Amino acid sequence: MKERKLTKNEIGLLLTVIIGLVGIVGLSMWIDAHRPPADSPVEEDRLYVNAALVDRLALGFNGLVADWYWMRSLQYVGRKILGLSEKIQIDSLTPLNLKLLAPLLDAATSLDPQFMEPYQYAAVVLPTIDVDEAIRITKKGIASNPDSWRLYQHLGYIYWQQKDFKAASEAYATGAKLPGVPAWMEAMKGRMASEGGSRDTAREIYRRMYEEAGDEQVKEMARRRLLQVDAMDERDALLRLMETYKLKMGRCPSKWRELENVLRALRVKVDASGAPLDPAGTAYLLVKDECDVKVDWRSEVPVK
Amino acid sequence: MIGRIGAIALNAFREAVRDRVLYNLVLFVLLLTAAAIFIGDLSGGQERKIIVDLGLSAMLLFGVFISIFVGVGLVYKEIERRTIYAIFSKPIGRGEFIIGKYLGLCLTLLVNVLVMGAGVSLALIYVSRGFDPLAISIWPAVLLIYVELMILTGVALLFSSFSSPALSALLTFFVFIIGHFSADLKGLATTMGSTAARWLFRSLYYLLPNLANLSYITPAAHGKLPPPGYVLTATIYSVMYIVVILAAATLIFRRRNFK
Repeated sequence: MKERKLTKNEIGLLLTVIIGLVGIVGLSMWIDAHRPPADSPVEEDRLYVNAALVDRLALGFNGLVADWYWMRSLQYVGRKILGLSEKIQIDSLTPLNLKLLAPLLDAATSLDPQFMEPYQYAAVVLPTIDVDEAIRITKKGIASNPDSWRLYQHLGYIYWQQKDFKAASEAYATGAKLPGVPAWMEAMKGRMASEGGSRDTAREIYRRMYEEAGDEQVKEMARRRLLQVDAMDERDALLRLMETYKLKMGRCPSKWRELENVLRALRVKVDASGAPLDPAGTAYLLVKDECDVKVDWRSEVPVK
Repeated sequence: MIGRIGAIALNAFREAVRDRVLYNLVLFVLLLTAAAIFIGDLSGGQERKIIVDLGLSAMLLFGVFISIFVGVGLVYKEIERRTIYAIFSKPIGRGEFIIGKYLGLCLTLLVNVLVMGAGVSLALIYVSRGFDPLAISIWPAVLLIYVELMILTGVALLFSSFSSPALSALLTFFVFIIGHFSADLKGLATTMGSTAARWLFRSLYYLLPNLANLSYITPAAHGKLPPPGYVLTATIYSVMYIVVILAAATLIFRRRNFK
């Protein structure tokens, strides 16, 4: 079939479409480049949602809208973390001013009260931002899912972070009474009451969190906190070694090489310069003026 | 009588297929495929739940649009094209015509829902890299979605038996919205100060279809199954409601003058 040539009018229309599309793309790029930053109050207000209102308006699509709010929460936190120059743990996000995180998680859990991931996220991320909201959302989850022991684990974790070991112990104790609960919940109840502030308790909490977490961010946070607890023990041991050295030599060691033989004898892993390695495999820093040991900021082990 | 209703139903189904109503399945498959591939990066490990929520919600939404926009045209198109005279010149009753048209669209929706349900199950098997119990446990929720669509189709047919397609579509959409607000209607019926208002909201609560009873997408995404008694009661309620709607539609349609 012979194709008909385009008429002048048709060429004009085609050009209009092409030029129009190019213009639209260009304008979109300009608008994106000049949009106010995500931190501005306008952007935050635009995202603000009332959980009860959203629940009413969901028209049977509650689960889908809850998923949307859940993903929105992750994006909200992730975007702010990406905009930060320093390394930060998701359980210490105070500097990020995440004022919308609580309403977003509240909306997700109001729309789908059986959705467990937002509760865990609220327990891990929210306490440093708004501890009352973290507790309220977790208790709301318990009210909707009274048989879920994991929510009691989350509540116990929040109280433990606040150093309210009595409340933490009570949370673990209540959770431990539920059917099908693992035996360590009962053990945690006793440990929380007797030695809530100890590193062993912290190690146990993060180990359980690492094993139970479904969310990769939470899992990674728990892994790093476990490294941190191990590094604290190692640092204490290194400080004791330095103290012994100081008593013997009358001064602090000026470089790790001076302690290398002792470290090797104690089977401590050291690098080529004789410096001991932290649990993530990065050398500890020797601060000779202060006779102190510090974790290298480049290490995976969190400093704070 | 059953043969005549069947012939009208089959014809309505063929007409829906000819009108490319089932093309929405292509869009649905694209949506699910995209979700299965990309949602993992955004969901923090919740892709299975999100696929069920997304798949079943899309099934309901697409179904609602088909029920409304095809449903309101079922009778109107026959009148507009004057083919209704040819139909009624044959030994076909007006009730048979209404029921046949209704069943034809229900058959279209059934095909739609079955293909979509299978799509969601396959997407779940894909993201789980093997058999996933959710692929089976979503089906009671799919049944309840289908029952909800059957009610809406009946409502659309009822409105279209006495009003224009645009108004019928609008009214049916209102019924869909109010049907999901039934808990609020009941709440208003108990909390309002005036007796007349209480009676009004109580009447609306009982007269309008309680579509919230048929909404089981969110629990289904957690692998929860509705109790069989609940599904049975909800289905019986819906069938009774449909019978009432079709009876009313037939009554109105029988009294309608086409001259």
